[in-house]
Amino acid sequence: MTLSLAIGVLTAAAVYLVLQRGMVRIVLGLVLLGNAVNLLLVSAGGAFRRDRPLLTEAPERAADPLPQAFVLTAIVITFSITVYMLTLAGAGEDDDDTEDGP
Amino acid sequence: MLHLLAALVAVTLLAPAVDRVLGRSTGWLVAGALALLTGLVLLGGGRVLEGERPPEAALSWMPTLGVGLYLRMDGLAWLFCVLVLGVGALVLAYSARYFPPGGQGGFFFAMSAFATAMTGLVLADDVVLLFVCWELTTVCSFWLIGLPGAEGARPAVRAFLPTAMGGLALLTAVLLLWTRTGTTRLSVIVEDSSWTRDTGFATVVALLVVVAVLTKSAQFPFHAWLPDAMVAATPVSAYLHAAAMVKAGVYVAMRFSPAFADVVAWQVALVGLGLLTAVMGAVFALQKNDIKELVAYSTISQLGLIVAAVGVGTAEALVAAAMHTLAHALFKAALFMAVGVVDHQTHTRDLRELGGLRRSMPITTATSALAALSMAGIPPLLGFVSKEGLLEAFLHAPGPVWAGPVAAGAAVVASALTFAYAFRFVYPVFGGRVVRNPEREPSREAPWSFVAWPALAAAGGLVLGPAVSLLNPLAGRIAEETARAGGEADLALWHGFTPALGMSAAAVLLGALLAWRTSFGAVLAGRRLFPVRGTEAFERLYAGVVALGERTGDLTRTDAPVRHLAAPIVLVLVLAAVVAGAGLDYGVAPAPVVRPQDWVLVALLTASVSAAVLTRSRIAALVLVGTAGFTTALWFLFLGAFDVALTQLLVEVLTVVVAVLVLRRLPRGFHAVRRARTVATGAVAVAAGLAAGLAAYALTGRRELSPVGDYLLSNAREDTGGTNVVNTVLVDYRALDTLGELTVLGAAGLIVIAVLHSAGLSDQGRVLLNVPRTSPVWDSDDNTVAMRTVARWLIPLLLVWSLYLLLRGHDEPGGGFIAGLVGGAGFALAYLASSSASVEHVRRAYPIYIACGVALALGAGLLGYAEGSFLRPLHFDLLLPWGGFSTTTALVFDAGIYLAVVGVVLTALNQLGLERPVERSGRAPDARERGLGGGR
Repeated sequence: MTLSLAIGVLTAAAVYLVLQRGMVRIVLGLVLLGNAVNLLLVSAGGAFRRDRPLLTEAPERAADPLPQAFVLTAIVITFSITVYMLTLAGAGEDDDDTEDGP
Repeated sequence: MLHLLAALVAVTLLAPAVDRVLGRSTGWLVAGALALLTGLVLLGGGRVLEGERPPEAALSWMPTLGVGLYLRMDGLAWLFCVLVLGVGALVLAYSARYFPPGGQGGFFFAMSAFATAMTGLVLADDVVLLFVCWELTTVCSFWLIGLPGAEGARPAVRAFLPTAMGGLALLTAVLLLWTRTGTTRLSVIVEDSSWTRDTGFATVVALLVVVAVLTKSAQFPFHAWLPDAMVAATPVSAYLHAAAMVKAGVYVAMRFSPAFADVVAWQVALVGLGLLTAVMGAVFALQKNDIKELVAYSTISQLGLIVAAVGVGTAEALVAAAMHTLAHALFKAALFMAVGVVDHQTHTRDLRELGGLRRSMPITTATSALAALSMAGIPPLLGFVSKEGLLEAFLHAPGPVWAGPVAAGAAVVASALTFAYAFRFVYPVFGGRVVRNPEREPSREAPWSFVAWPALAAAGGLVLGPAVSLLNPLAGRIAEETARAGGEADLALWHGFTPALGMSAAAVLLGALLAWRTSFGAVLAGRRLFPVRGTEAFERLYAGVVALGERTGDLTRTDAPVRHLAAPIVLVLVLAAVVAGAGLDYGVAPAPVVRPQDWVLVALLTASVSAAVLTRSRIAALVLVGTAGFTTALWFLFLGAFDVALTQLLVEVLTVVVAVLVLRRLPRGFHAVRRARTVATGAVAVAAGLAAGLAAYALTGRRELSPVGDYLLSNAREDTGGTNVVNTVLVDYRALDTLGELTVLGAAGLIVIAVLHSAGLSDQGRVLLNVPRTSPVWDSDDNTVAMRTVARWLIPLLLVWSLYLLLRGHDEPGGGFIAGLVGGAGFALAYLASSSASVEHVRRAYPIYIACGVALALGAGLLGYAEGSFLRPLHFDLLLPWGGFSTTTALVFDAGIYLAVVGVVLTALNQLGLERPVERSGRAPDARERGLGGGR
């Protein structure tokens, strides 16, 4: 329940920021969206088993390792894309506006 | 048969080289080769026509799919093979003197390729091969029609699009048949009654084949491309009309005839449209003043009769169709080549400017007359026999009582018109008075090397007419192969006084009357009988489709990202609403798994993102989003995802560092937007948040551990030797994915460099802060003392720790990603601690790190081939002085990840952070003035 709540809050804020006109806001929105999706992935594994998936500890209470592996790479990819988009935001003259007019 | 195809391919490949040396005379060589092959096929005729089973050959192609180069030469294939090769030989020999001396570009190559594709088509016993050859003929014809250059461009497109569309229909039919019958063997499919008895399925397939046939054979409503294609050189037209392209449609129709003979839609479509086209084409032909155009419309009309006969589907009708195909190939090749001779010798094709050529060009006259008589169905020519057969077959057409007489009546009308336009072709051009044109030299007969070939084709019709009974074995075979009921063939010049003879006579009389009353069609010439022309309709349709595409593109033709970003969000919301409205079975509600600390995180998250949304300051928004990221990391920690949490934490740190470097260049506040926009985006955002939250609640956490997760937890140690299951998934189970992601990571790093170079911002930037010299923050050396002191100790520690994390990652929390981020954080610290960009110690050749990382991971993957597959980890025991331990090449792979991540972090820091040492007060001079842009 709390996890769904967190996903909802993150998504709402992410969508709001993504639809703004400054590139930095769009990038921040996408960072939040990445967080929301990563939480969703982990939540797909279930929140009822919360121990680390280390075989040296008790595997019968360990969380599902598959979504964790997905999320781990997803975080790093999001990071590289974020860096790329931030570069784009900074590569303009001295503004990151994406639209013309007022 | 394989040798036959191989020889044709060889001819095709050699033709361009020979063309470069011999120029137009290449035609002789290619013609010689085709004639030789025709001879060989004719000699093999005995085996085909008398053997128990048709000869077959096979070559492996796609064995796992069961698709092969299966070839089969039965009577029908043999007839078409002879036509394709024999007419090809004649046309190519003719082309050797038709063209002006010199190289002919792609002509000989395309013609040989055309002959090869047609031969492959008629021999194919595999539906996939059939389709491929079918498409090859389309491509070859596109090329040949387009050869004249600009004037051929549109006609080539107008020929290509409809026939390619027909090709798609054939492909669909082929795939349907393949999936239904489980085989690609054409001969098996056609005889398989399991699908032909399913009327619905058979009708769909039959209609698809009908579309393919109608487009290829230029039947109404797809007829317009054929006369349009006349811009091509005459040899091309002769081949296209007589033996290739349009005959491919007839061949496929006859090939599928046994399967579809009882399908009503097949009969109605082929007979109805075929006869309509026959009459329509003949009327158009009668109207033409250009004799090449006249002959071109005549093809449409004749093909209409043949297609209609295939639709009738009786043995009698199919034999007549095959015979008329043969007769048509001979007289149409002769007519086109004769038109080419006239054009070549007199420089005009307008029959109003021609006349009395019989005196100056006797051989051409005789050729044209013979061919035209065969076309008009006058005894004793082959055209008479085949047309008799057609009329007879139409009269006995199955179906309602009125069907036969109506069809036969339409065929008689078409034949009468045929007689009239045949007359119109011969009489004004070769008969009548000589038209003298003072500007031109009087016409002369062309040399034998030029006129012999049409004469030969026309003579074929004259010889085969009286000797038609020789064709009985072939006709019998074709009747057996193509008619569901099978049947006998009884070809003869004279059948006695039959209804067909009466109809033939009626057609000739009616035709003569028509020719007389319309002054050989001159009355009708040039009039527009229909409000729409085929080519105009095509162009309008074409422009419409292009405009539709443009309209569709306009929706997203904008630089503003909001449009591109909003579309998928709104679409997902609509989908969510639809799914919620439809009502799903969500399963049992999950047992409550909430723990008290979760609520703390929700509160923290809500507070930070609300503030991030509301703030107008860039730096505040960044910090708040970072806070939300840290909270997310805590979430991961509470959910048992230790590695993920660590990664998230490090990424948040680095993101903030990189973002700060970018924010230096930007204004402090966000842009003001209109209130309406804030409200609208807010509404979309709230809806999206609700949808995401509800979906997460409804769709996740409602089952036990996933089977994959269960497998991983039980088997990871045995499979990989590692105990950190998440890490084993990354470097063992799904290493290929990780390698891909690593490459994306590296590419992003390189793109950052490229973007900054192209924007001229690389290695330099502007100091936006205007700090007075008296300010305490002015001196960067003094200000970084504390940082530098800490960093001196912390940085080596961070690097060592990162290596430790890397090494233990397979068993304990850690691994390449985390270790790389820790190492990167060490460099970030070094960067922040240095007093100025130019003296810091992290300026390394960072792209090399990325390259080495990807190369190392790839190398570790290649090592896997030692045990059979890419990326398979090798396990081995390492014996060291202080004791041995077991390790795996997955560690090398992980080291690759480590290097690549460090490389990307370094790239971001250096590229975004560096600036030239600038004057210590005020702004740096503008980049353009100094001309120091990295990319310039």
